[in-house]
Amino acid sequence: MTASVSLPQELQTVRLSQVCKSYGDYQALKDIDAEVARGEVVVICGPSGSGKSTLIRTINRLEEINSGSITFDGQNIHAPMRMKELNLLRSRIGFVFQSFNLFPHLSVVDNISMSPIRVKGIPAAVAHEKALALLDRVGLSEKAEAYPAQLSGGQQQRVAIARALAMEPPVMLFDEPTSALDPEMVGEVLSVMKSLAAEGMTMLCVTHEMGFARDVADRVWFIDAGQILETAPPEEFFKNPRHPRAQRFLADLRH
Amino acid sequence: MINDIIAIVRDYWLLLLIGQYPNGPLGGLANTLILSALSIALAFPVSIIFALARLSKWPLLRWPVTALVYVTRGVPLLMLILWCYFLIPLWTGADVPSFVIMLTTLVVYQGAFLSEVVRAGIVALGPGQMDAARALGHSYLGAMRYVILPQALYNMIPSIISTFVSTIKDTTLGYVINVPDLTFAASQVNNQLLTQPFQVFLILAIVYYVICWSLTHVANRVERRIARRRAGLSNIRAAAVAAPPKIISEQP
Repeated sequence: MTASVSLPQELQTVRLSQVCKSYGDYQALKDIDAEVARGEVVVICGPSGSGKSTLIRTINRLEEINSGSITFDGQNIHAPMRMKELNLLRSRIGFVFQSFNLFPHLSVVDNISMSPIRVKGIPAAVAHEKALALLDRVGLSEKAEAYPAQLSGGQQQRVAIARALAMEPPVMLFDEPTSALDPEMVGEVLSVMKSLAAEGMTMLCVTHEMGFARDVADRVWFIDAGQILETAPPEEFFKNPRHPRAQRFLADLRH
Repeated sequence: MINDIIAIVRDYWLLLLIGQYPNGPLGGLANTLILSALSIALAFPVSIIFALARLSKWPLLRWPVTALVYVTRGVPLLMLILWCYFLIPLWTGADVPSFVIMLTTLVVYQGAFLSEVVRAGIVALGPGQMDAARALGHSYLGAMRYVILPQALYNMIPSIISTFVSTIKDTTLGYVINVPDLTFAASQVNNQLLTQPFQVFLILAIVYYVICWSLTHVANRVERRIARRRAGLSNIRAAAVAAPPKIISEQP
Protein backbone atom coordinates (compact mmCIF):
# COMPACT_ATOMS: atom_id res chain seq x y z
CA MET A 1 0.00 0.00 0.00
CA THR A 2 2.86 2.38 0.77
CA ALA A 3 5.52 3.40 -1.72
CA SER A 4 9.21 3.70 -0.95
CA VAL A 5 9.59 4.93 2.60
CA SER A 6 12.51 6.16 4.61
CA LEU A 7 11.10 4.77 7.87
CA PRO A 8 10.48 1.07 8.41
CA GLN A 9 6.80 0.48 7.97
CA GLU A 10 6.20 -0.79 11.48
CA LEU A 11 7.53 2.48 12.88
CA GLN A 12 5.43 4.94 10.92
CA THR A 13 1.92 5.79 11.90
CA VAL A 14 0.92 8.66 9.66
CA ARG A 15 2.26 9.02 6.17
CA LEU A 16 1.29 11.69 3.68
CA SER A 17 2.25 11.30 0.07
CA GLN A 18 1.65 13.71 -2.78
CA VAL A 19 -1.23 15.31 -0.90
CA CYS A 20 -2.89 18.11 -2.85
CA LYS A 21 -5.88 20.12 -1.84
CA SER A 22 -7.44 23.16 -3.43
CA TYR A 23 -10.39 25.40 -2.81
CA GLY A 24 -11.47 26.37 -6.32
CA ASP A 25 -8.44 28.03 -7.88
CA TYR A 26 -6.62 28.41 -4.61
CA GLN A 27 -4.23 25.59 -3.89
CA ALA A 28 -4.08 25.09 -0.14
CA LEU A 29 -1.77 22.08 -0.09
CA LYS A 30 0.79 21.24 -2.77
CA ASP A 31 2.37 17.81 -2.99
CA ILE A 32 2.83 17.27 0.71
CA ASP A 33 5.15 14.34 1.46
CA ALA A 34 5.82 13.59 5.08
CA GLU A 35 5.67 10.91 7.69
CA VAL A 36 5.35 10.64 11.41
CA ALA A 37 6.98 7.87 13.40
CA ARG A 38 5.35 6.15 16.33
CA GLY A 39 5.95 8.15 19.51
CA GLU A 40 7.21 11.14 17.58
CA VAL A 41 6.17 14.69 18.39
CA VAL A 42 5.95 16.88 15.30
CA VAL A 43 5.34 20.59 15.47
CA ILE A 44 3.94 22.19 12.33
CA CYS A 45 4.65 25.88 12.09
CA GLY A 46 4.42 28.54 9.46
CA PRO A 47 2.85 31.91 8.74
CA SER A 48 -0.89 32.28 8.94
CA GLY A 49 -2.74 31.11 5.87
CA SER A 50 0.08 28.74 5.00
CA GLY A 51 -2.14 25.64 5.15
CA LYS A 52 -1.17 24.31 8.60
CA SER A 53 -4.73 23.85 9.83
CA THR A 54 -5.90 22.48 6.50
CA LEU A 55 -3.07 19.96 6.58
CA ILE A 56 -3.85 18.70 10.07
CA ARG A 57 -7.57 18.53 9.33
CA THR A 58 -6.97 16.31 6.30
CA ILE A 59 -5.31 13.73 8.54
CA ASN A 60 -8.60 12.70 10.13
CA ARG A 61 -10.52 13.63 6.99
CA LEU A 62 -12.32 16.62 8.42
CA GLU A 63 -11.15 18.06 5.09
CA GLU A 64 -11.13 16.06 1.88
CA ILE A 65 -8.07 16.07 -0.34
CA ASN A 66 -8.00 16.28 -4.13
CA SER A 67 -5.17 13.84 -4.77
CA GLY A 68 -2.48 11.89 -3.01
CA SER A 69 -2.93 9.67 -0.03
CA ILE A 70 -2.72 9.78 3.74
CA THR A 71 -2.22 6.51 5.54
CA PHE A 72 -2.64 5.84 9.20
CA ASP A 73 -1.22 2.52 10.41
CA GLY A 74 -1.13 1.46 6.78
CA GLN A 75 -4.78 2.29 6.11
CA ASN A 76 -5.56 4.90 3.48
CA ILE A 77 -7.75 7.45 5.24
CA HIS A 78 -8.93 9.09 2.03
CA ALA A 79 -9.79 5.90 0.20
CA PRO A 80 -13.46 5.44 -0.61
CA MET A 81 -14.89 3.59 2.38
CA ARG A 82 -18.08 3.04 4.28
CA MET A 83 -18.89 5.75 6.80
CA LYS A 84 -18.66 3.17 9.58
CA GLU A 85 -15.04 2.46 8.72
CA LEU A 86 -14.21 6.14 8.58
CA ASN A 87 -15.86 6.75 11.94
CA LEU A 88 -13.83 3.92 13.43
CA LEU A 89 -10.64 5.41 11.95
CA ARG A 90 -11.51 8.85 13.27
CA SER A 91 -12.19 7.51 16.74
CA ARG A 92 -8.57 6.33 16.76
CA ILE A 93 -7.17 9.78 15.93
CA GLY A 94 -7.55 12.31 18.72
CA PHE A 95 -8.20 15.88 17.65
CA VAL A 96 -7.96 19.04 19.73
CA PHE A 97 -9.42 22.23 18.27
CA GLN A 98 -8.33 25.80 18.60
CA SER A 99 -11.79 26.78 19.87
CA PHE A 100 -12.10 23.72 22.20
CA ASN A 101 -15.54 22.77 20.83
CA LEU A 102 -16.69 21.21 24.08
CA PHE A 103 -20.33 20.22 24.10
CA PRO A 104 -21.94 23.03 26.11
CA HIS A 105 -25.07 21.05 26.96
CA LEU A 106 -23.11 18.32 28.75
CA SER A 107 -21.25 18.40 32.04
CA VAL A 108 -17.49 17.98 31.92
CA VAL A 109 -17.61 14.30 32.85
CA ASP A 110 -20.34 13.65 30.25
CA ASN A 111 -18.32 15.52 27.63
CA ILE A 112 -15.52 13.04 28.21
CA SER A 113 -17.53 9.84 28.65
CA MET A 114 -20.22 10.38 26.00
CA SER A 115 -18.22 9.20 22.99
CA PRO A 116 -16.75 6.09 24.64
CA ILE A 117 -20.33 5.17 25.61
CA ARG A 118 -22.03 6.05 22.30
CA VAL A 119 -19.29 5.20 19.82
CA LYS A 120 -17.42 2.36 21.49
CA GLY A 121 -20.30 0.94 23.51
CA ILE A 122 -18.41 1.01 26.78
CA PRO A 123 -20.69 0.65 29.84
CA ALA A 124 -21.58 4.04 31.32
CA ALA A 125 -20.14 3.28 34.76
CA VAL A 126 -16.78 2.23 33.32
CA ALA A 127 -16.66 5.24 31.00
CA HIS A 128 -17.47 7.57 33.90
CA GLU A 129 -14.71 6.16 36.03
CA LYS A 130 -12.27 6.49 33.16
CA ALA A 131 -13.40 10.08 32.57
CA LEU A 132 -12.72 10.93 36.19
CA ALA A 133 -9.26 9.40 35.95
CA LEU A 134 -8.54 11.46 32.82
CA LEU A 135 -9.79 14.60 34.54
CA ASP A 136 -7.40 13.88 37.36
CA ARG A 137 -4.62 13.56 34.83
CA VAL A 138 -5.32 17.03 33.39
CA GLY A 139 -5.69 18.41 36.91
CA LEU A 140 -9.42 19.11 36.87
CA SER A 141 -10.98 16.43 39.10
CA GLU A 142 -12.96 19.01 41.03
CA LYS A 143 -14.68 20.21 37.82
CA ALA A 144 -16.31 16.90 36.88
CA GLU A 145 -19.87 18.12 37.35
CA ALA A 146 -19.27 21.64 36.00
CA TYR A 147 -20.51 22.76 32.60
CA PRO A 148 -18.12 24.11 29.96
CA ALA A 149 -19.48 27.67 30.34
CA GLN A 150 -18.25 27.64 33.93
CA LEU A 151 -14.66 26.92 32.99
CA SER A 152 -11.84 29.20 31.87
CA GLY A 153 -10.41 28.77 28.39
CA GLY A 154 -7.41 26.87 29.68
CA GLN A 155 -9.61 24.52 31.68
CA GLN A 156 -11.88 23.96 28.68
CA GLN A 157 -8.93 23.04 26.50
CA ARG A 158 -7.66 20.59 29.12
CA VAL A 159 -11.10 18.99 29.20
CA ALA A 160 -11.02 18.84 25.40
CA ILE A 161 -7.70 17.00 25.58
CA ALA A 162 -9.14 14.58 28.14
CA ARG A 163 -12.17 14.08 25.89
CA ALA A 164 -9.93 13.16 22.96
CA LEU A 165 -7.83 10.84 25.16
CA ALA A 166 -10.95 9.03 26.35
CA MET A 167 -11.15 7.29 22.98
CA GLU A 168 -7.63 5.94 23.61
CA PRO A 169 -6.22 7.14 20.28
CA PRO A 170 -2.68 6.14 19.37
CA VAL A 171 -2.22 9.54 17.69
CA MET A 172 -3.22 13.02 18.81
CA LEU A 173 -3.61 16.02 16.50
CA PHE A 174 -3.58 19.55 17.94
CA ASP A 175 -4.81 22.44 15.82
CA GLU A 176 -3.44 25.60 17.44
CA PRO A 177 -4.55 24.45 20.91
CA THR A 178 -3.35 27.59 22.69
CA SER A 179 -4.13 30.31 20.15
CA ALA A 180 -7.54 31.14 21.59
CA LEU A 181 -6.27 31.35 25.17
CA ASP A 182 -5.35 34.26 27.39
CA PRO A 183 -1.56 34.27 27.84
CA GLU A 184 -1.69 33.18 31.47
CA MET A 185 -3.56 30.02 30.51
CA VAL A 186 -1.23 28.83 27.78
CA GLY A 187 1.14 27.22 30.26
CA GLU A 188 -1.39 24.85 31.83
CA VAL A 189 -2.40 23.47 28.42
CA LEU A 190 1.18 23.13 27.23
CA SER A 191 2.17 21.28 30.39
CA VAL A 192 -0.59 18.72 29.77
CA MET A 193 0.69 18.34 26.22
CA LYS A 194 4.25 17.97 27.48
CA SER A 195 3.28 15.22 29.88
CA LEU A 196 1.47 13.46 27.04
CA ALA A 197 4.60 13.66 24.91
CA ALA A 198 6.66 12.35 27.79
CA GLU A 199 4.39 9.32 27.98
CA GLY A 200 5.24 8.52 24.38
CA MET A 201 2.10 9.73 22.62
CA THR A 202 2.46 10.32 18.90
CA MET A 203 1.55 13.96 18.40
CA LEU A 204 1.16 16.43 15.56
CA CYS A 205 0.78 19.99 16.78
CA VAL A 206 0.08 23.08 14.80
CA THR A 207 1.26 25.78 17.15
CA HIS A 208 2.96 29.14 17.41
CA GLU A 209 4.50 28.20 20.74
CA MET A 210 8.12 28.01 19.71
CA GLY A 211 9.19 27.29 23.29
CA PHE A 212 7.05 24.17 23.21
CA ALA A 213 8.53 23.19 19.86
CA ARG A 214 12.05 23.63 21.19
CA ASP A 215 11.42 21.63 24.38
CA VAL A 216 9.16 18.85 23.21
CA ALA A 217 9.22 18.40 19.46
CA ASP A 218 11.28 15.72 17.77
CA ARG A 219 10.89 17.47 14.46
CA VAL A 220 9.55 20.74 13.15
CA TRP A 221 7.78 20.99 9.82
CA PHE A 222 7.91 24.48 8.37
CA ILE A 223 5.10 25.05 5.94
CA ASP A 224 4.36 28.00 3.71
CA ALA A 225 1.97 28.46 0.78
CA GLY A 226 0.80 24.88 1.11
CA GLN A 227 4.23 23.30 0.90
CA ILE A 228 6.48 21.80 3.52
CA LEU A 229 9.65 23.81 2.96
CA GLU A 230 11.76 22.38 5.72
CA THR A 231 11.68 19.55 8.24
CA ALA A 232 14.34 19.47 10.89
CA PRO A 233 14.90 18.73 14.55
CA PRO A 234 14.01 21.86 16.56
CA GLU A 235 17.54 22.76 17.65
CA GLU A 236 18.67 22.70 14.03
CA PHE A 237 15.57 24.51 12.77
CA PHE A 238 15.82 27.33 15.27
CA LYS A 239 19.59 27.75 14.99
CA ASN A 240 20.17 27.25 11.29
CA PRO A 241 17.01 27.36 9.27
CA ARG A 242 17.99 26.44 5.74
CA HIS A 243 15.09 27.81 3.74
CA PRO A 244 15.10 31.61 3.30
CA ARG A 245 11.34 31.71 4.02
CA ALA A 246 11.91 29.92 7.32
CA GLN A 247 14.73 32.33 8.16
CA ARG A 248 12.42 35.26 7.56
CA PHE A 249 9.63 33.61 9.59
CA LEU A 250 11.91 33.05 12.58
CA ALA A 251 13.30 36.57 12.31
CA ASP A 252 9.76 37.93 12.37
CA LEU A 253 8.97 35.86 15.45
CA ARG A 254 11.90 37.35 17.34
CA HIS A 255 10.64 40.90 16.89
CA MET B 1 -72.85 41.44 29.65
CA ILE B 2 -70.91 39.40 32.24
CA ASN B 3 -74.23 37.86 33.18
CA ASP B 4 -74.86 36.93 29.55
CA ILE B 5 -71.51 35.22 29.35
CA ILE B 6 -72.10 33.32 32.58
CA ALA B 7 -75.50 32.27 31.34
CA ILE B 8 -74.09 31.04 28.01
CA VAL B 9 -71.38 29.05 29.76
CA ARG B 10 -73.96 27.60 32.18
CA ASP B 11 -76.32 26.56 29.40
CA TYR B 12 -73.87 25.36 26.78
CA TRP B 13 -70.75 24.23 28.70
CA LEU B 14 -71.21 20.61 27.73
CA LEU B 15 -71.56 21.43 24.02
CA LEU B 16 -68.49 23.69 24.20
CA LEU B 17 -66.57 21.04 26.08
CA ILE B 18 -67.29 17.86 24.09
CA GLY B 19 -69.59 18.87 21.23
CA GLN B 20 -72.44 16.45 20.38
CA TYR B 21 -70.73 13.54 22.07
CA PRO B 22 -71.97 10.87 22.85
CA ASN B 23 -74.85 11.43 20.42
CA GLY B 24 -72.54 12.67 17.72
CA PRO B 25 -68.80 12.90 17.09
CA LEU B 26 -66.55 14.18 19.83
CA GLY B 27 -66.19 17.93 19.41
CA GLY B 28 -65.75 21.16 21.31
CA LEU B 29 -62.75 21.92 23.46
CA ALA B 30 -61.89 18.23 23.82
CA ASN B 31 -61.54 17.83 20.08
CA THR B 32 -59.56 21.07 19.76
CA LEU B 33 -57.12 19.83 22.38
CA ILE B 34 -56.82 16.40 20.74
CA LEU B 35 -56.30 17.95 17.29
CA SER B 36 -53.74 20.41 18.64
CA ALA B 37 -51.85 17.80 20.63
CA LEU B 38 -51.75 15.36 17.70
CA SER B 39 -50.70 18.08 15.25
CA ILE B 40 -47.87 19.23 17.50
CA ALA B 41 -46.80 15.69 18.41
CA LEU B 42 -46.61 14.72 14.72
CA ALA B 43 -45.37 18.03 13.27
CA PHE B 44 -42.39 18.11 15.62
CA PRO B 45 -40.68 14.89 14.46
CA VAL B 46 -41.73 15.65 10.87
CA SER B 47 -40.02 19.04 11.15
CA ILE B 48 -36.77 17.43 12.33
CA ILE B 49 -36.86 14.99 9.42
CA PHE B 50 -37.59 17.86 6.99
CA ALA B 51 -34.76 19.94 8.47
CA LEU B 52 -32.27 17.08 8.19
CA ALA B 53 -33.40 16.43 4.62
CA ARG B 54 -32.91 20.09 3.73
CA LEU B 55 -29.40 20.01 5.16
CA SER B 56 -28.60 16.72 3.46
CA LYS B 57 -25.84 16.54 0.88
CA TRP B 58 -28.00 14.28 -1.30
CA PRO B 59 -30.03 16.35 -3.77
CA LEU B 60 -32.61 13.57 -4.00
CA LEU B 61 -33.48 14.17 -0.37
CA ARG B 62 -32.90 17.92 -0.33
CA TRP B 63 -34.80 19.10 -3.38
CA PRO B 64 -38.25 17.61 -2.82
CA VAL B 65 -38.37 18.80 0.77
CA THR B 66 -37.07 22.25 -0.17
CA ALA B 67 -39.79 22.48 -2.82
CA LEU B 68 -42.41 21.36 -0.32
CA VAL B 69 -41.28 23.96 2.23
CA TYR B 70 -41.33 26.74 -0.36
CA VAL B 71 -44.78 25.82 -1.63
CA THR B 72 -46.16 25.46 1.87
CA ARG B 73 -44.74 28.79 2.96
CA GLY B 74 -46.12 30.52 -0.10
CA VAL B 75 -49.69 29.24 0.08
CA PRO B 76 -52.26 30.29 2.70
CA LEU B 77 -53.18 27.52 5.12
CA LEU B 78 -56.85 27.89 4.29
CA MET B 79 -56.06 27.14 0.64
CA LEU B 80 -54.15 24.00 1.59
CA ILE B 81 -57.01 22.82 3.78
CA LEU B 82 -59.53 23.28 0.99
CA TRP B 83 -57.27 21.54 -1.52
CA CYS B 84 -56.82 18.54 0.73
CA TYR B 85 -60.50 18.52 1.56
CA PHE B 86 -61.59 18.37 -2.07
CA LEU B 87 -58.64 16.58 -3.67
CA ILE B 88 -57.88 13.73 -1.32
CA PRO B 89 -61.34 12.10 -1.61
CA LEU B 90 -61.15 12.67 -5.37
CA TRP B 91 -57.76 10.94 -5.66
CA THR B 92 -58.30 8.16 -3.19
CA GLY B 93 -62.02 7.70 -3.62
CA ALA B 94 -62.15 7.11 0.11
CA ASP B 95 -64.33 9.02 2.51
CA VAL B 96 -61.64 10.62 4.66
CA PRO B 97 -62.98 12.20 7.84
CA SER B 98 -62.46 15.96 7.95
CA PHE B 99 -60.60 15.55 11.24
CA VAL B 100 -57.95 13.43 9.52
CA ILE B 101 -57.69 15.87 6.61
CA MET B 102 -57.25 18.77 9.01
CA LEU B 103 -54.65 16.86 10.98
CA THR B 104 -52.54 15.91 7.93
CA THR B 105 -52.70 19.42 6.52
CA LEU B 106 -51.64 20.93 9.83
CA VAL B 107 -48.80 18.43 10.25
CA VAL B 108 -47.40 19.16 6.79
CA TYR B 109 -47.92 22.92 7.07
CA GLN B 110 -46.55 23.37 10.58
CA GLY B 111 -43.91 20.71 9.96
CA ALA B 112 -42.61 22.80 7.06
CA PHE B 113 -42.57 25.99 9.13
CA LEU B 114 -41.02 24.28 12.12
CA SER B 115 -38.37 22.66 9.92
CA GLU B 116 -37.06 26.12 9.06
CA VAL B 117 -36.80 26.90 12.76
CA VAL B 118 -34.97 23.62 13.42
CA ARG B 119 -32.70 24.16 10.43
CA ALA B 120 -31.85 27.66 11.62
CA GLY B 121 -31.03 26.24 15.04
CA ILE B 122 -28.69 23.66 13.54
CA VAL B 123 -26.97 26.10 11.18
CA ALA B 124 -26.57 28.68 13.95
CA LEU B 125 -24.48 26.25 16.00
CA GLY B 126 -21.68 26.55 13.47
CA PRO B 127 -19.51 23.72 12.16
CA GLY B 128 -17.33 23.34 15.28
CA GLN B 129 -19.70 21.08 17.20
CA MET B 130 -20.19 18.74 14.24
CA ASP B 131 -16.43 18.67 13.62
CA ALA B 132 -15.79 17.79 17.25
CA ALA B 133 -18.36 15.00 17.22
CA ARG B 134 -17.11 13.58 13.91
CA ALA B 135 -13.50 13.76 15.11
CA LEU B 136 -14.50 11.58 18.07
CA GLY B 137 -15.90 9.00 15.68
CA HIS B 138 -19.63 9.73 15.91
CA SER B 139 -21.66 9.00 12.81
CA TYR B 140 -23.51 11.92 11.21
CA LEU B 141 -26.82 10.86 12.72
CA GLY B 142 -25.19 10.06 16.05
CA ALA B 143 -23.66 13.54 16.14
CA MET B 144 -27.06 15.02 15.29
CA ARG B 145 -28.79 13.05 18.00
CA TYR B 146 -26.36 13.50 20.87
CA VAL B 147 -24.62 16.78 20.08
CA ILE B 148 -26.36 18.99 17.53
CA LEU B 149 -30.09 18.55 18.06
CA PRO B 150 -30.08 18.80 21.87
CA GLN B 151 -28.45 22.21 21.52
CA ALA B 152 -30.26 23.40 18.42
CA LEU B 153 -33.70 22.49 19.74
CA TYR B 154 -32.96 24.00 23.13
CA ASN B 155 -31.78 27.26 21.59
CA MET B 156 -34.91 27.36 19.48
CA ILE B 157 -37.43 26.73 22.26
CA PRO B 158 -38.99 30.21 22.00
CA SER B 159 -39.52 29.90 18.24
CA ILE B 160 -40.68 26.30 18.52
CA ILE B 161 -43.25 27.24 21.17
CA SER B 162 -44.45 30.10 19.05
CA THR B 163 -45.02 27.65 16.19
CA PHE B 164 -46.86 25.29 18.55
CA VAL B 165 -49.06 28.18 19.67
CA SER B 166 -49.87 29.10 16.11
CA THR B 167 -50.67 25.43 15.41
CA ILE B 168 -53.27 25.52 18.17
CA LYS B 169 -54.75 28.68 16.72
CA ASP B 170 -54.74 27.24 13.22
CA THR B 171 -56.96 24.36 14.32
CA THR B 172 -59.80 26.90 14.25
CA LEU B 173 -59.60 26.85 10.45
CA GLY B 174 -60.97 23.32 10.60
CA TYR B 175 -64.28 25.11 10.94
CA VAL B 176 -64.44 25.60 7.16
CA ILE B 177 -64.38 21.86 6.52
CA ASN B 178 -66.69 21.08 9.43
CA VAL B 179 -64.20 19.69 11.89
CA PRO B 180 -66.29 19.66 15.08
CA ASP B 181 -63.90 21.62 17.29
CA LEU B 182 -64.37 24.39 19.83
CA THR B 183 -64.88 27.05 17.15
CA PHE B 184 -67.48 24.87 15.49
CA ALA B 185 -69.29 24.37 18.81
CA ALA B 186 -69.18 28.10 19.52
CA SER B 187 -70.71 28.93 16.17
CA GLN B 188 -73.42 26.34 16.84
CA VAL B 189 -74.16 28.13 20.09
CA ASN B 190 -74.17 31.43 18.26
CA ASN B 191 -76.62 30.08 15.69
CA GLN B 192 -78.97 29.03 18.43
CA LEU B 193 -78.77 32.32 20.35
CA LEU B 194 -78.54 34.62 17.29
CA THR B 195 -78.44 37.78 19.43
CA GLN B 196 -75.20 37.46 21.37
CA PRO B 197 -72.31 36.91 18.93
CA PHE B 198 -69.97 39.19 20.85
CA GLN B 199 -70.40 37.27 24.09
CA VAL B 200 -70.12 33.86 22.44
CA PHE B 201 -66.96 34.67 20.57
CA LEU B 202 -65.44 36.42 23.57
CA ILE B 203 -65.73 33.12 25.45
CA LEU B 204 -64.03 31.44 22.49
CA ALA B 205 -61.21 33.99 22.48
CA ILE B 206 -60.64 33.65 26.22
CA VAL B 207 -60.42 29.85 26.03
CA TYR B 208 -57.87 29.98 23.18
CA TYR B 209 -55.91 32.63 25.00
CA VAL B 210 -55.72 30.54 28.17
CA ILE B 211 -54.56 27.44 26.28
CA CYS B 212 -51.87 29.28 24.34
CA TRP B 213 -50.73 31.30 27.32
CA SER B 214 -50.35 28.18 29.48
CA LEU B 215 -48.20 26.54 26.82
CA THR B 216 -45.89 29.55 26.64
CA HIS B 217 -45.77 29.69 30.41
CA VAL B 218 -44.83 26.02 30.79
CA ALA B 219 -42.17 26.34 28.10
CA ASN B 220 -40.59 29.34 29.78
CA ARG B 221 -40.40 27.46 33.06
CA VAL B 222 -38.81 24.43 31.43
CA GLU B 223 -36.28 26.64 29.70
CA ARG B 224 -35.38 28.46 32.90
CA ARG B 225 -34.89 25.15 34.67
CA ILE B 226 -32.48 23.87 32.00
CA ALA B 227 -30.58 27.17 32.05
CA ARG B 228 -30.28 27.01 35.84
CA ARG B 229 -28.98 23.47 35.71
CA ARG B 230 -26.38 24.41 33.11
CA ALA B 231 -25.29 27.48 35.02
CA GLY B 232 -24.67 25.16 37.97
CA LEU B 233 -25.60 27.87 40.51
CA SER B 234 -22.33 27.22 42.37
CA ASN B 235 -20.25 29.52 40.25
CA ILE B 236 -21.58 33.05 40.35
CA ARG B 237 -19.34 34.44 37.64
CA ALA B 238 -20.17 31.64 35.26
CA ALA B 239 -23.84 31.81 36.20
CA ALA B 240 -23.88 35.39 35.01
CA VAL B 241 -22.20 34.37 31.77
CA ALA B 242 -24.45 31.39 31.18
CA ALA B 243 -27.67 33.14 32.17
CA PRO B 244 -30.05 32.86 29.25
CA PRO B 245 -31.16 36.00 27.53
CA LYS B 246 -34.59 36.95 28.75
CA ILE B 247 -37.03 35.13 26.60
CA ILE B 248 -39.00 37.55 24.59
CA SER B 249 -42.17 35.60 24.31
CA GLU B 250 -43.10 35.51 20.69
CA GLN B 251 -46.66 34.83 21.48
CA PRO B 252 -48.53 36.17 18.50
